[in-house]
Amino acid sequence: MPPRLPFAQAAQCCRRALEVPPKQPSLVSLFAALSVQTRSASILANLSDNKDAYHKRIRRGRGASSGYGKTAGRGMKGTKARNKVNPWFQGGQTPLIFKHGQKGFVNHRAPVMAELNLDRLQTWIDTGRLDPTKTITPRELVKAGLVGIKDGIKLLARGKNEIKTPIDIVVSRASAAAILAVEAAGGKITTRYYTKAAIKNLVSGKSVHTDKPLPIGPEHVESVLQQARTSRKHFYRLPDPTSRWDIEYYRDPAHRGYLSHTLKTGESPSLYFKVPGEKPLVGKKSKKAADASEERLF
Amino acid sequence: MAGKWMGSLSEAMRGLSLAAQTCRTVPVRTAPLISRRSMATESPISKPLSNITRSVTEEWQPITSVPVTIHSFPSLEPRALESYSAKHLYLPLRRDILHLAVVFEGDNTRQGTAQAKTRWEVAGSHRKVRPQKGSGNARVGSKQSPIRRGGGKSHGPRNRDFGTKLNRKVYDLAWRTALSYRYRRGELIVTEDGLDLPLPEDFLQQAQDGLLTRELEDAFIQKYVGEMLGAMQWGKADGRTTFITGEERTNLFTSLDVAGEEGTALELEDVDVKDLLETGRIVIERSALKEMIKQHRSDLVTSIAMPNKVMKEKTLASPLYPFPHEVSEA
Repeated sequence: MPPRLPFAQAAQCCRRALEVPPKQPSLVSLFAALSVQTRSASILANLSDNKDAYHKRIRRGRGASSGYGKTAGRGMKGTKARNKVNPWFQGGQTPLIFKHGQKGFVNHRAPVMAELNLDRLQTWIDTGRLDPTKTITPRELVKAGLVGIKDGIKLLARGKNEIKTPIDIVVSRASAAAILAVEAAGGKITTRYYTKAAIKNLVSGKSVHTDKPLPIGPEHVESVLQQARTSRKHFYRLPDPTSRWDIEYYRDPAHRGYLSHTLKTGESPSLYFKVPGEKPLVGKKSKKAADASEERLF
Repeated sequence: MAGKWMGSLSEAMRGLSLAAQTCRTVPVRTAPLISRRSMATESPISKPLSNITRSVTEEWQPITSVPVTIHSFPSLEPRALESYSAKHLYLPLRRDILHLAVVFEGDNTRQGTAQAKTRWEVAGSHRKVRPQKGSGNARVGSKQSPIRRGGGKSHGPRNRDFGTKLNRKVYDLAWRTALSYRYRRGELIVTEDGLDLPLPEDFLQQAQDGLLTRELEDAFIQKYVGEMLGAMQWGKADGRTTFITGEERTNLFTSLDVAGEEGTALELEDVDVKDLLETGRIVIERSALKEMIKQHRSDLVTSIAMPNKVMKEKTLASPLYPFPHEVSEA
């Protein structure tokens, strides 16, 4: 709506304005004619929040009419009227926490994974905040704001029916349902060992991402050193697992681990438990043969 | 008696309505406006209004942009026309959002330096005034007891921070709601850049030469500004005017310092939502309005990074007149 300019100024541009009566009556003057008192009221005097934003303030012990006078909601006498009672107090009977004691312990060394669900991932792809045409590594996930930097990233399957885009994703761990969902959509998932420092280096650009383990053997030393000397940018390499649990996790093809290609056919990912039938057991075969050859009663 | 009053009231409203319309929107016919409340079940009036151009069967489309006239100052000649999005200058009035913003600004302006001494802060020894028993008078402890005259205050004001927080997007919405409120009421006047008060040359010369005393200067400025704004119906009698500029304009700012009852002048960085709602109208420079909306549109413009998209600069005020093709030709 154009501003209500006073007539004297508007007349310069338009002749039609002259048809309007010369003296422009203002609201004040019109109401003055009706002898109704007004002041130019500002909207600042009529501002208030919505009704439900204001709550009754309870002031205890300020008279009967308030509803919280005298005993102030504490009832009659007793310890709770005068003092505080501990939540675990059972009237003197040995409290449960002392009777049973505490159970277990908290493992402060356990890695804390950042959880990422499939529905959130799909939302980011749909809104263009994550590029599905490139490999999705922890660097892309952190920079897009999907996850924070913790000991790793675990892909979980909330919204497994929503994931439609084929993606190539590398994370620390993945649930079985998440693996199924990603591969059903035509994507590829790999799990790789990360530490918090490794993820920080990836995000800052000090490390370059790879889904291959570090080369082992003296024949690789010279080439790795040459690369470290020449490349000024990516100086830190990504670590490989050392603990038994981690190694077994990433050797497992069911987890799509990046070390699973090192397994021979039929080999179990466990470093201790072997699949039966692989090798003949020492001594037992000869004993059975001896038993079969001998004719014995028992 | 009530009917007589209603009749006069309707006459007054009719007079107002006629006066409010500019020459472009004055209807050709002279049918009287309906000022009483009409029910939905009533049949429509016989003569349709001439300024309805759409048919009833057409789907209603909300307004997406509104025009803003750029005036020259002080002649108020319309010089250009710009188009702003309805989300900038045509938001619905949300009093609760305006309230939140005004209270937030007020809280953060508070100094919070009121403080009363407690019994431990009042000066004096904490010695027991007289023995517990034996004097025949009431038992007393220290001289600074809150019961005593000259003692401390038990629960007095303490030096504290009254500041509160408000979501940035809510605050920005409140800002644009205030501007929209002014726009709808016709109290937002946009002028060309370089908004300044034109003081007479001879007065300025005399003041510079030091021929006038301070009282004379002030008295002249007072009278000049008063008469000028009074003639434009922008002064004290009409609720005062707030001038908003990009940077300080010496003449304008010092004149309104002296003639404060006629209006006030603010730089863009000093403006609050409360300032936008206070006086009778806002007179703002074109570039200042553009900058103001740019600073307060966080709920419209996303700051999220998209890897494959190039972020386009969203245009604020697209020119309607002078027509863009004419400008490029000239």
